[in-house]
Amino acid sequence: MDGTFSQLVMLGSSGMLLTALIVLWRKGIPAYVTAYRWQAWLLAAITGTVAYYGRDPRLYWVAALLLALKGAAIPALLGTMQRRFGAQREATPYVNTETSLVIASLLVLFAYVLARPWMAVTDLPTRQGLPLALGLLFVSLFIVVSRKKAITQVIGFLMLENAIALLAAVGTRGVPLLVELGVFLDALMGFLVMQIFVYHIHETFNTIDVEELARLRH
Amino acid sequence: MPFGNLALLVMVVGYAAGACLSLLAPSDRAARWLTTIGAAIGCIGGVAAASSVLATRVSVDATLASLVSTAGGIVIHLDLLGAFFLLLVAALGLPAAVYGIAYTAEYEGRHSLRVFGLMFNGFLLGMSLVPCAGNVFTFLFTWELMAIASYFLVMTESEKRDTRQAGLWYAAMTHLGLVLLLPMFFLMAGGSEATAFADLRTTAAALTPGTRHIVFVLALLAFGSKAGIVPLHVWLPRAHPAAPSHVSALMSGVMIKLGIYGLVRVTFDLMSGGPAWWGGLLLAVGCVSALLGVLYALMEHDLKRLLAYHSVENIGIILIGLGAGSILHAQGLPALAAIGFAGALFHTVNHACFKGLLFLAAGSVMQQTHTANMEEMGGLIKRMPQTALCFLVGSVAIAALPPLNGFASEWLVFQSLLAGTSIQRPEIAVGFPIAVGMLALTSGLAAACFVKAFGISFLAMPRSNHAAQAREAHWSMRATMILLAGGCVTLGLAAPLAVRGLNRVIDSVPGLSAGEPLPRSPGLWLVGPGGSAQVSPLLIAVLLGAIALAVLVALHARGFQVRRADTWGCGRISQTARMEYTASAFAEPLRRVFTALYRPTEDLSVGVHPDSRYFVQSITYTSQVVPWFETAFYDPVTRGARGLAAQVRRLQAGFLHLYLLYVTVALVAALAVAWWFK
Repeated sequence: MDGTFSQLVMLGSSGMLLTALIVLWRKGIPAYVTAYRWQAWLLAAITGTVAYYGRDPRLYWVAALLLALKGAAIPALLGTMQRRFGAQREATPYVNTETSLVIASLLVLFAYVLARPWMAVTDLPTRQGLPLALGLLFVSLFIVVSRKKAITQVIGFLMLENAIALLAAVGTRGVPLLVELGVFLDALMGFLVMQIFVYHIHETFNTIDVEELARLRH
Repeated sequence: MPFGNLALLVMVVGYAAGACLSLLAPSDRAARWLTTIGAAIGCIGGVAAASSVLATRVSVDATLASLVSTAGGIVIHLDLLGAFFLLLVAALGLPAAVYGIAYTAEYEGRHSLRVFGLMFNGFLLGMSLVPCAGNVFTFLFTWELMAIASYFLVMTESEKRDTRQAGLWYAAMTHLGLVLLLPMFFLMAGGSEATAFADLRTTAAALTPGTRHIVFVLALLAFGSKAGIVPLHVWLPRAHPAAPSHVSALMSGVMIKLGIYGLVRVTFDLMSGGPAWWGGLLLAVGCVSALLGVLYALMEHDLKRLLAYHSVENIGIILIGLGAGSILHAQGLPALAAIGFAGALFHTVNHACFKGLLFLAAGSVMQQTHTANMEEMGGLIKRMPQTALCFLVGSVAIAALPPLNGFASEWLVFQSLLAGTSIQRPEIAVGFPIAVGMLALTSGLAAACFVKAFGISFLAMPRSNHAAQAREAHWSMRATMILLAGGCVTLGLAAPLAVRGLNRVIDSVPGLSAGEPLPRSPGLWLVGPGGSAQVSPLLIAVLLGAIALAVLVALHARGFQVRRADTWGCGRISQTARMEYTASAFAEPLRRVFTALYRPTEDLSVGVHPDSRYFVQSITYTSQVVPWFETAFYDPVTRGARGLAAQVRRLQAGFLHLYLLYVTVALVAALAVAWWFK
């Protein structure tokens, strides 16, 4: 039974990492929103799996909350934002697609290296997900650093937050509802604030390229 | 709960309540009152705790081990030495706080009195807890609390450019001190993890002489930067004038004394004294500070800057006492040394009293005349008679004239120096007379300086409209000044009693104590070494009073009457304030004498009539004295710091992505390092 459990977790974590990689090779913002929605569903599914196999009914609540907030509410808000700015494309990122994918693979390798001592000391059935969660964390950070459009960066941040939630789910048999709630609200607040900033950037500079912010200095 | 602990608790709760409540006060007026009420309760608690320790000789201990337990927790250990300084803080804190009610009234609507209340109480709390600290963490924590709160107090009037610069200097110097304190404590601990002062006493005793020397030099520099020894005094003449006057009184009266406390605690208590050259260094630094302090004070026409330079001078006198004492102690003459130590500690009290008084009086004057420039004052004795009298008492005390308190302590310091001249060691036999000379010159110049300060500010005719329209200060401000003036007189008259009390404190500190009970001096007399010299301030006062009374009686018997008329004006029809003797003119002869030191820049431009150069139309004369060693020493340092800051500023390029990259790289690097060194 543990075998199925770890296989399922591994599958879900890999899927989440894959959705992050989508952001690196696609250029249209709508695709990013879709990728994020899938990632959130996968996260909810993993949490549900942990709840089922770990016999922790409270985690079902966490999963439901994840599904409602990250799987539905935030993608809907992102969709509104994206429609408002019209057809925006991540036309010229700082790092081109090919190099981005190479760097992402290196980051995932690094994550595997980092996670090795950790995996050696733990006997959690979910430990196979640890390097993938770390890899997702690095890739999301890389998205934030290398992409120019503000919406892409917001999505990168949200994926980073998903990575942390995934790390918590696979590294600790799921965190209590209270902690999860705190993190949710934190991320939601962060998202709302960023949304306001993106609107302001758009109003001020008529674009959502954060590069333009450099003009604010002096 | 024992009385001492209860009093300490009242003190902390009082300050904390004053800080929090004034922050939440509904109005500025309420904030002023809450600030003072909290501070007053705290000060009363502090006085009670300190007096109980001084009276019973039983120390007060309290521990909060669970708070910051990794650093050893908060440990309170109030012994006699600490109680002495706590008494100083609390006793000056009370009048300063009361003075603040009326003094800060003019800040209403201009500055945030709520934040001021928080910082004022935080400052008092920090200063009160520094002498109570019983381990390194508590000491450093309260030391920083005091430094940070006082920084914000200095910055109260931050809309002025001078104030912001003063704040920068102050922050830089106070942090320099902290940076030196850390390695000092680190070296003293000698590798052990125990950081209680009691443990440090043991570990410091086991250090090699070389390490002990380094610890001493670090302590002198670190605490000296707080006390204001030359050349680390640069922040004093900048920060004291910038702060509100009752804060200046506290900073100058007690905060810089906590530098002396730290020095005594580390050098004479934790390390229980050292070789003679430590005392020699203290003596040399003290002489230089005293003389340079008073020389630069003479050139100042800004009342508060003048007082600030006098703080440097008085810190110098305290260090002379400590230095002479520790040289004598190292020579095996502890009974003589005790006179120097008593002089130093007594001068600490006295300086707190008269300098607090002078700053408060200067504040009252400035509040009325809206300037600190003496050249725009004058004639204030008619308009503010009580303030003038208080300032006069303070001036007489700081000029060390009998029978006031400054005289008693400086006399003791002199006696300890004179005692040293008989020691058959060439460096002492030469060094002590030089020190005597420098101290004597300092005292004389200080008297001249206060003739100038009092005469130009309070006598003759008003030199500006503001001075002409000055009114007496609010009664609460006058009351605190009169209280402190009374303190100066009492400490002077009761000097022998005070010294007897101080001997208790000296006995409790290993590096200061004589190891044997000191001879009890007869009731009314201050006694010099070996009983060869003795003086009684009380009898001097009685004598002076009798002479004054006799003169009055004699004049009355001759039918003397007060006659009011214009000042004799050499036959001129009208007299204006422009004809008065100015502060610059008063200081001019001394500036000539010490030209080599001052290196003044002078600029004289004479405007003549186009037709004949014998018809002078205007003369403009400006002269500036900029302490040359400050520019010589600090300019390269500030230039270097600025250059470095400009380099660091390149990090802030303005690109959001770059900043995000910093975060990412830092995270990945931290993880990689952790992995590498697993």
